[in-house]
Amino acid sequence: MKKTILAFIFFTSLLSAQDKYTISGTIHDVSNGETIFGASVFLSGTTVGGITNEYGFYSITAPKGTYKIVISYMGYVDSTQEVILDNDQKLNFELIESSEQLDEVIITSGETERVNIKKPEMSTAKLKAETIKKMPVVLGEVDIIKSIQTLPGVTNTGEGSSGFNVRGGAVDQNLVLLDEAIIYNTSHLLGFFSIFNADAIKDIKLYKGGIPARFGGRVSSVLDVRQKDGNNKRIGLTGGIGLISSRLAVEGPLFNKNGSFLVAGRGSYAHLFTDAFKDIKGNKVKFYDLNLKTNYKLSEKNKLYLSGYFGRDVFNFSTSFKSSYGNLSGNLRWNHIFNDRLFSNLSVIYSKYDYELTIKSAEFDWTSYINNYNLKYDLKYYLSNDLKLEFGGNGIFYDFFPGEITPTSLTSPINYRKLDEKKAIETGVYLNAEHKITEKLTAQYGLRYSAFSRLGGQTLSNYKDNQPVVYNSALGIYEEGEVVGDTKYKKSETIKSYGNLEPRVGLSYQLTETSSLKAGYSRTAQYIHLLSNTISVTPLDVWTPSGKFIKPQLSNQYALGYFRNFKNSTYSLEIEGYYKNIDNRIDYIDGSDLIGQNTIETQILNGKSRAYGLEFLFRKNKGNFTGWLAYTISKSEQRTLGDNVAGPGINDGKWYSTAHDRTHDLSITGIYKLNDKWTFSSNLIFQTGRPVTYPNGQYQYEELSIASYSDRNSNRLPSYHRLDISATYTPNNKPNRRWKGEWIFGIYNLYNQKNAASISFGQNLETGANEATRTAIFGIVPSISYNFKF
Amino acid sequence: MKTYIKSIILIIVITFTSCSDVINVDVPVASPRLVVEASIDWQKGTSGNEQSIKLTTSTPYFDKEKNNKVQGASVKIINDNDGTEFIFIDQKNGNYITSDFVPVLNQSYTLEIIYNNEVYIAKETMTPVTDVKNITQSIEDEVLEVNLMFDDPKDIENFYFVKFKERGDLFPELFYESDEFSDGNEMKVVFSKEEDDDSTIQELKPGSIVDIKLHGISKRYYKYIRLMIDQSESDGGPFSTTPAPLRGNCTNQSKPENYAFGYFRLTQVIKTSYTLKQK
Repeated sequence: MKKTILAFIFFTSLLSAQDKYTISGTIHDVSNGETIFGASVFLSGTTVGGITNEYGFYSITAPKGTYKIVISYMGYVDSTQEVILDNDQKLNFELIESSEQLDEVIITSGETERVNIKKPEMSTAKLKAETIKKMPVVLGEVDIIKSIQTLPGVTNTGEGSSGFNVRGGAVDQNLVLLDEAIIYNTSHLLGFFSIFNADAIKDIKLYKGGIPARFGGRVSSVLDVRQKDGNNKRIGLTGGIGLISSRLAVEGPLFNKNGSFLVAGRGSYAHLFTDAFKDIKGNKVKFYDLNLKTNYKLSEKNKLYLSGYFGRDVFNFSTSFKSSYGNLSGNLRWNHIFNDRLFSNLSVIYSKYDYELTIKSAEFDWTSYINNYNLKYDLKYYLSNDLKLEFGGNGIFYDFFPGEITPTSLTSPINYRKLDEKKAIETGVYLNAEHKITEKLTAQYGLRYSAFSRLGGQTLSNYKDNQPVVYNSALGIYEEGEVVGDTKYKKSETIKSYGNLEPRVGLSYQLTETSSLKAGYSRTAQYIHLLSNTISVTPLDVWTPSGKFIKPQLSNQYALGYFRNFKNSTYSLEIEGYYKNIDNRIDYIDGSDLIGQNTIETQILNGKSRAYGLEFLFRKNKGNFTGWLAYTISKSEQRTLGDNVAGPGINDGKWYSTAHDRTHDLSITGIYKLNDKWTFSSNLIFQTGRPVTYPNGQYQYEELSIASYSDRNSNRLPSYHRLDISATYTPNNKPNRRWKGEWIFGIYNLYNQKNAASISFGQNLETGANEATRTAIFGIVPSISYNFKF
Repeated sequence: MKTYIKSIILIIVITFTSCSDVINVDVPVASPRLVVEASIDWQKGTSGNEQSIKLTTSTPYFDKEKNNKVQGASVKIINDNDGTEFIFIDQKNGNYITSDFVPVLNQSYTLEIIYNNEVYIAKETMTPVTDVKNITQSIEDEVLEVNLMFDDPKDIENFYFVKFKERGDLFPELFYESDEFSDGNEMKVVFSKEEDDDSTIQELKPGSIVDIKLHGISKRYYKYIRLMIDQSESDGGPFSTTPAPLRGNCTNQSKPENYAFGYFRLTQVIKTSYTLKQK
């Protein structure tokens, strides 16, 4: 593999002409020194240009001559400089934020439209933290995960549910990266808020499809969240005071401006919500996060970054139980520029997710975690203007610790027990090319090879006929297979290995100066799975690796899109259609029991899923009024046949809707800047209700009315809709004052729609009659928050 | 143990839940099925001769008229070891009774029902139960509760079904327990009642009498009753399990797709009651 890459580079190097020179450098924001990702660099009057990478680095190559180099980035003033190109040179730029920052596009591709149209990248969306802060949100709590749900193709299973679903995929099929570290749970308070503190975040990019070859490990999407580097010009403060939580971030230069730091904290107020419960005293529900980032420029060619995140949720119900969970991650990165065409980054990353539970009444503790170490090396080679190569590899070592139960007293009814710890290694190597084939046709093609080894050091059960699950045809149920012994795997042994080739292709064909057609295909593999038989994932759900019984999920996604800019890019339209199928999606047998389960294989069947849809995104990018209309029509289904286990499978082996299938999903977001003091924004959301399972009959048993149920997910909750508004007031907008504050007033669910988060069926305790009870989570919720910068 | 973990998710969700109301929902209607409540419960220390089996049919979910008693079925239980047959006599009100049943611990039995010319068969084993060790009362968050204690026999898999009902109440509260995480230990099942502003349901108070039944049950019945209890207590919210069809052990030999709801269980049971004292 390595040899092929080298040979390829060598060969293509020969093709490039010799009288060309390269300009490379880094682009920063003048006010705080933050590097800018996605700024475009052009030689005016030519077709030579490029885009800065995640670290603000660019490299372009042109024949000898005199040029005008133009640097542009949405929301910033263009920077131009004349260059006499007669040798390779290094040029760093600092861009000035335009004063009309509020006019800026909320969701920008981050690139000039010209490039956007041409670039083969599709199915992506990028948001800036500054602009997420302007969107109306529940209780005024800025939420990145909620913001991306206003984009086409992104949904969740309803208010107060964890995570997000991309193009009909499951929550565990999203790779969520915070400064490259894998985040296993993106939610605070079970999904009411997200773990990302907007003050610490520079930008986020969501890949709904067309996942570049440098990413691997999840089949549905990649959410790439990058923390700010920290202001290297001066000490600055950012913060906010809201109804739920307060935030404060401090940033500033270090090492004589050769470095900078950022420390950001956020905490909810204790006694949140629960004070409303008069009868339960001393209960606490809270969350907090801490973000850290620092960097140090060793030399022009070497830069070190250190970043970290720690976040936690605590539920303390005084007499009955205490639960706490959260993510911890850290990343040490070394950017090294070999020469003006070869950029590299080496990262050592750690991440961990754990939860602890203490049940006071039953006197036991329960702990569980997953952690991983990831070593990653990525290189980018700017071969020529028409061809850029990315290549690299990574290796992840996982430790799955599904659970340990410890009695907390001698009288505890619980015995000590530890579920089997599991270890695995996932590796990947990739090569990706971005290739301008003709003036109109650009391609991005790459190949990733991923491998996964489940390591020994544990004992696995053997089942009769090698079937951990069997079908009891007399009773019509799936149940545990018969254990006929076990196999002990030594630490040096590998239980099972998998390998997959994952080709990724993207094509962009420019139809006119302002429109293009794009097509993409990507194959992705996922080796670890979140076990969850509930409608939405919970913090207690456990991750499990592929191995002897569980196969890796494999997905193929096909997408086709049409992109067009109107009226000098004031408006833009994106239409994309997609189809994806996923093999080896875990499905759960009826009545599956996952809590404290050591032999997960006895509770699951191997299924498939598929999703298809059409997404429209119409945006107004410029002017006092900006915003977008996003509409998606889609279907997300799964099917589990009995196959090698026999029996009809789940739901008689029919395709059935996943819990997050939403036929229609419409959201309209508008932001209107009235004057320098007032900005208004609004969201309108309409969605088909989520699939649910309703009773189709009842009978008496043990003096109770027992419901019998129809097929899984064959009914739907009523449609969901709501309107939110918010207003941002910026007083005393004097340009020279360092203290800049703004008030944000918001009303969530303005017309107080009682959207059903769930409908439960049960007996009225007094009359005994069956009734359906609708639970709505948020009615009309006003909020106020204050944000400041110093 | 698992019940605790499940209830935590529920409590957390309830914390956030702001409002709920009763609404009208159109639900699908499945064709009726035979429902078999064949609970052969042998009270420890008695002969266990008198037993009854209840047969009904399922009805649409919101139907209040429950004219669904099954008459004219032929019902018998066979001891699988010696072939003894116990005929249950139709009382014309959905109940079928016998007064000469002979229970034998760990003995397997077969239930045979002929209804509408279709033959239903179920097999189960009479499962023993451990003794009740103690019943106490305690106060948690100012609420009175009743604690049922019993010692789990060590080194064997045991499953329990517990039913509490305050005398005068409309509904019992059901619990399931397994010794998966507490083999050989003293087990405790706690019953309390929550006051509800919208109804006349009251907490337990001094003088309340609680009837208690502790059944020893088979593993298969444990799985059945666990799913039944979980589903009937589910709030349908995002953290609840997708409801599944509840399949008991009564199969239809004539038309397998016409399987019956309910269960043929054989359990040894301890029946007792507890009167709450002053706090």
